[in-house]
Amino acid sequence: MPEAIETQLKKGVLALCVLALLSRGDGYAYDIASRLSGAIDMGEGTIYPLMRRLQADKLVETYLVESPAGPPRKYYRLTDAGRASFAQQKAEWETFAGAVNNILGEG
Amino acid sequence: MTKAEFMARLRRGLAALSPVALAEVTADYEAHFEEAAAAGRSEEETAAALGDPDRLARELRAEYGLKAWEDKKSPANATGAIIALLGLGAIDVLILAPILFSLISVIFTLVFVVIALFFVGGAVMIAGPFVDYGGGPVMAVLAGLGLVGGATGFGALLTLATVGLINALVWYARLHFKLLKPAIEAQ
Repeated sequence: MPEAIETQLKKGVLALCVLALLSRGDGYAYDIASRLSGAIDMGEGTIYPLMRRLQADKLVETYLVESPAGPPRKYYRLTDAGRASFAQQKAEWETFAGAVNNILGEG
Repeated sequence: MTKAEFMARLRRGLAALSPVALAEVTADYEAHFEEAAAAGRSEEETAAALGDPDRLARELRAEYGLKAWEDKKSPANATGAIIALLGLGAIDVLILAPILFSLISVIFTLVFVVIALFFVGGAVMIAGPFVDYGGGPVMAVLAGLGLVGGATGFGALLTLATVGLINALVWYARLHFKLLKPAIEAQ
């Protein structure tokens, strides 16, 4: 089932993608969700349970910023632990993706 | 689906959460609808892009359930974490549940034995000296004390073992949940 594999791959790297986006700058959930859902096809609602988990694991923390229109926005930023976890996961991903690419290239 | 329908289904799925946690979650999704409206998207479009509220509720419940158990090891939190993980399918009902339930019944039986031993010890200690008993009154009191002490010690060990068991279960389910999660989310 290629479709299932595709979905699994996308969902599996979602946390890594969120950490990557936040490593480039703080963001709020709606913005993160729309940037990710544009690039990798996923339900935008999935971002919230994921942000809760990252927060519970102390990889991200939140702060409020006044928004030009409407209520203040909740921004997320990486903690030091989050930065370390991102570096580690990124390295793991690169090793894994490199290995898969090698095998695919040989086939 | 309108915003109201989405929020109602989400709330229904999260009824077991504490009011504070429920408010946190609903505020997130309310804000999402507001941002989307500001960006010119309709409620229906936004709700469809968010995904199935029932599934989101199950995931959020599991997050809060696990966090509660990790923060505080109480029987209520243990039950909550296990139910949340069962709801998510992270604990395989068919394979793991029979093992789990026999373990739980063994623990329950042991708890009753410990409690019974404690009371028997107390009774021996109090009634022993008045009953004609082999070793005399002092021996009876000591035997009673021994039983009570043994029951207390065994009870403490049993508590440690139970906490360890549930920790192992949560660890297993989390691992399983991480692997399984994509499959659950794929509709």
